[in-house]
Amino acid sequence: MTAKKQDTPSGEQEQHKQETKRILNGFSRKRLSLIPILQKVQGKLGYLPREAMTEIAEYLDIPAIDVYGVVTFYNQFRLNPPGKHSIRVCLGTACHMKGGYITLDAWKRRLGINPRETTEDREFDLDTVACVGCCTMAPVTVVDDKPEGGVEPTRVDGILLAFGYDTVTKDKDKSENK
Amino acid sequence: MEAVTITLNGVEVSGYAGTTILDLARESGVYIPTLCHDPNLASTGACRLCLVEDERNGALLASCVAAISPGMTINTNSPRVVEHRKRILELILASHPDSCLVCDKGNRCQLRKLAAEMGVGLIQLQKIPQNDVIEEVNPFIERDLSKCVMCGKCIRVDQELVVEGAIDYIHRGTMVRAATLNDMPLEKSECTFCGACVAICPTGAIMEKERVYTGTATNTVTTICPYCGCGCTICLGTKDNQIVEARPAVDSPVSRGALCVRGSYGYDFIHSPERLTQPLIKVDGEFQEATWEEALSRVAEGLGQIKKDHGADALAVFGSSKCTNEENYVLQRFARGVLGTNNIDNGSRLYSAASRTGLGASIGYAGTTGSLDALERSRVIMVIGANPEISAPAVAYAIKRAVRFKEAKLIVIDPRNTPLTQFASLWLRPGIGTDVALLNGLARVIIDEKRLDVEFVTRMTDNFTGWTKSLQNYTAGYVEDVTGIAKKDVQAAARLLAGAEEASIVYGNGITQHTSGTDAVVAIANLAMLTGNAGRRGGIFALQRENNAHGACDMGALPGFLPGYQSVDEAENRQRFEEHWGGSLPTAAGLSALEMMKAAGLGKVKGMLIMGENPVASFPQPALIRKALSSLDFLVVTDMFPTETVKLASVVLSAASFAEKEGTFTNFEGRVQRLHQAIEPVGESLPDLEILLRLAEVTGSKMPYDSHQDVMEEIEDMVPFYRHVAYADTDSMGLDWGDVEGSSPGTRRLHKGLFPSGFGRFSPVEYTSPQDVATDGYPLTLMAGSGRYHFGAGSRSSRSARLSKFSPAALLEISGADAAELGIGDGDAIKITSAQGELSTTTKVSNSLPRGLLFMPISYPDSPVYELFGTVLDPQAKGPALKTCAVRLERTDGNG
Repeated sequence: MTAKKQDTPSGEQEQHKQETKRILNGFSRKRLSLIPILQKVQGKLGYLPREAMTEIAEYLDIPAIDVYGVVTFYNQFRLNPPGKHSIRVCLGTACHMKGGYITLDAWKRRLGINPRETTEDREFDLDTVACVGCCTMAPVTVVDDKPEGGVEPTRVDGILLAFGYDTVTKDKDKSENK
Repeated sequence: MEAVTITLNGVEVSGYAGTTILDLARESGVYIPTLCHDPNLASTGACRLCLVEDERNGALLASCVAAISPGMTINTNSPRVVEHRKRILELILASHPDSCLVCDKGNRCQLRKLAAEMGVGLIQLQKIPQNDVIEEVNPFIERDLSKCVMCGKCIRVDQELVVEGAIDYIHRGTMVRAATLNDMPLEKSECTFCGACVAICPTGAIMEKERVYTGTATNTVTTICPYCGCGCTICLGTKDNQIVEARPAVDSPVSRGALCVRGSYGYDFIHSPERLTQPLIKVDGEFQEATWEEALSRVAEGLGQIKKDHGADALAVFGSSKCTNEENYVLQRFARGVLGTNNIDNGSRLYSAASRTGLGASIGYAGTTGSLDALERSRVIMVIGANPEISAPAVAYAIKRAVRFKEAKLIVIDPRNTPLTQFASLWLRPGIGTDVALLNGLARVIIDEKRLDVEFVTRMTDNFTGWTKSLQNYTAGYVEDVTGIAKKDVQAAARLLAGAEEASIVYGNGITQHTSGTDAVVAIANLAMLTGNAGRRGGIFALQRENNAHGACDMGALPGFLPGYQSVDEAENRQRFEEHWGGSLPTAAGLSALEMMKAAGLGKVKGMLIMGENPVASFPQPALIRKALSSLDFLVVTDMFPTETVKLASVVLSAASFAEKEGTFTNFEGRVQRLHQAIEPVGESLPDLEILLRLAEVTGSKMPYDSHQDVMEEIEDMVPFYRHVAYADTDSMGLDWGDVEGSSPGTRRLHKGLFPSGFGRFSPVEYTSPQDVATDGYPLTLMAGSGRYHFGAGSRSSRSARLSKFSPAALLEISGADAAELGIGDGDAIKITSAQGELSTTTKVSNSLPRGLLFMPISYPDSPVYELFGTVLDPQAKGPALKTCAVRLERTDGNG
């Protein structure tokens, strides 16, 4: 379930660096400020791009890999930019029994990404969640903070269609690009 | 410290408070199995296999992290302990693949060894494979994390010993694995391919690439790495007279279980198909294979004829800073005693002559004053004109460890952004060639602020007052004007250096390869003496490019010195050797390396014997050198490969590599270390020592040595500071000069601040504006230096398949600012032109350079960067200025 890192355009990279630097100024250079820094940077940028992590590492005088280790340890940190719409597939006990993992597979296939990743056009990001407290509606997918019940693979297509996201043409684009 | 007594398996044993149970058990000869423990790394208690039971309360303790406490009653093998260990091992094996039959780790696998020991065979737990992709794009390291047992040794060795920070744990719980930043492949990470993780991995998860599944080494021989001046101990694994692997020696005082990419993977030149396996004689411009008898009698005849017709001084001998002490000693005896000339020099003239001259004049001893341990203990380390990460990795590891784990402060003085700058408290970026001004400026600040070590200066040095006067001009303001370094930074550096209990100064070719090299070395020595750091504590660390640069000079492969720096001018010195060798020795100092070439060009030198050097590639102006060597009547070269120089020879004598011979190397610290033969010489090649002894016999001057031991014994007799190096002692890697200095009269080291002549001498040196930087018409300054993946003139590293594959060509590094101004991008074809020559190459934009400075690595035979350099010599040391020169650039790819 390793989240694949996507490349960031270089103009955006520069902007991320500047933003990170600005945030860093308010913190002490002690190692214990690492997590508060990460939270604040993610609060600003929405995620933790590579250039932000290297900036932070340099500021705290620790190897960048240590920052990465912490970022991957905690679920609250993201390595990919948030999409315009967030898709969270419930894999709690009830949803699991009702085939939540099949729904997850459908999302993965339709969006062409793995959990904790974002589509290239940054329209959708995909993640899993362990129970959102409405087990009677299982299998549940939380779409932009709204729990949708009975999301089986066909419903996945329906939800995407409602966003005007034509997966068929998307797929076609992809195959042409290849 | 307080002693603590515990009961260990029923026996009372004592250790200091704070000792772990494991360490005490090992001291007492009690075996406890371990997996994640390594003596060079901090223990983490991750694997829990070292469990022991405290019988008082039944507690199970991880012995590698549990300290002893009074009254403990430890049982290392109770039924409970054994049961738990077995269960832990079974759990580890449950997620380990059953690929042992084909795994190249073979019998060195610690997991397999532990399983065998404990009798764990069939795993009755459900197997949970941790599938992973085998990473194998780079030519050095193959990672198969499905075999990983999460002991964390690779991560700890990377962070604690090498201090690179390329890998760490990512994710958590069952997903945890060792990975690089953003989980990139190694070649796209910070990884330097030092191979420390490969050597330490207890399983087959991290393996050496391009030799897996070829079977395991059947024998291991401990010897010394032949590349840089660090002299790391390496263990060569052999199989069927082939070297199949190189590993760091865990107990080496130099490398401590970590090598660099050259040491770990550069050994394959030994079995390169290009190796010369037979002597060659040139007949009508073509080489023909010959027997040793034919070749040596041809050499004896050729050299003899020239001596007869033109006198002994028409001959010159060039020794090698890559060959052993014994070989260089015999070579200079051959030159002086048999040929009768002092025209002998060695390859270190090209990079460390200034060091020898400058330090000799100041502290009376021509080399590093402390050991690597002393460097690592220092509170402040100043690195000037050196990039040890590349040129002396073991030194860089020590510096980084000192900074990261021992809170030392680092001052880096370098115009380039080197890997060490990120560890530095202070990074000064002086203009090229302004080191003398900066060093004098630092000294002046220290004196003005009365921060000098008064006691040391008064008791141990002379000419302080005279020298102080010479510093009048070097005010912080003047230094700022000359070097471009802000006043406050100069002051901060001076205060840091003078304020430290122990401070060390590390310098390298960035100092010695300038025309003002000797002056800068003197200025460094002045600064060290002023702060009381010349050997008593801290020290001066003069990095050497090649493995035996120190030794070759110690052995007298120098035009002006007999072995042990005994001047040839003095009859008394000569007499000692004459008595020993018989006959009379030439009196006047001979020609240095570049003077020989010049004399050859002028027809004054007519015959030359070159041992293991490649002047056509390593000297400035290759075209001129080639012409000079071609014009010789007779040229003999001993080498392993058909180098550019070998091609010009009349007779080529095929030499054996370091792995095929015995002898000693002296590393940059002055540590004399013993080589051990790992394999038989390839083909009919012979060790240089054997070649020289046979040659001496053919010329009718047989030397009374039967082996390298005989030679070393004579060296011990004749060279004062090698006297206490009993040949057997050089074997024990633990031997430090500190152990023996008390007992020997000719103290080699300057520990405790003892100067050989009794006093260190302050000498005034003046800053002169540099000649080797950008001028009119040549607006950029080109710097030449070592690259990580190649070495020296590249004769060996370019024939190492893996190194060449990973780093096939030299690229010109250019700063972003210059690139933008000249409209040059990454990978553009360009032509570099200097007053001396031109060179075509491709560019790489680098953010480590300041505006106006270019960098080009040496060691790539296809891009001979020394074509661009002139033959300007340091007037005192007679070494060429090979660090920088003025150039201009042109794009040659048509669209610029």
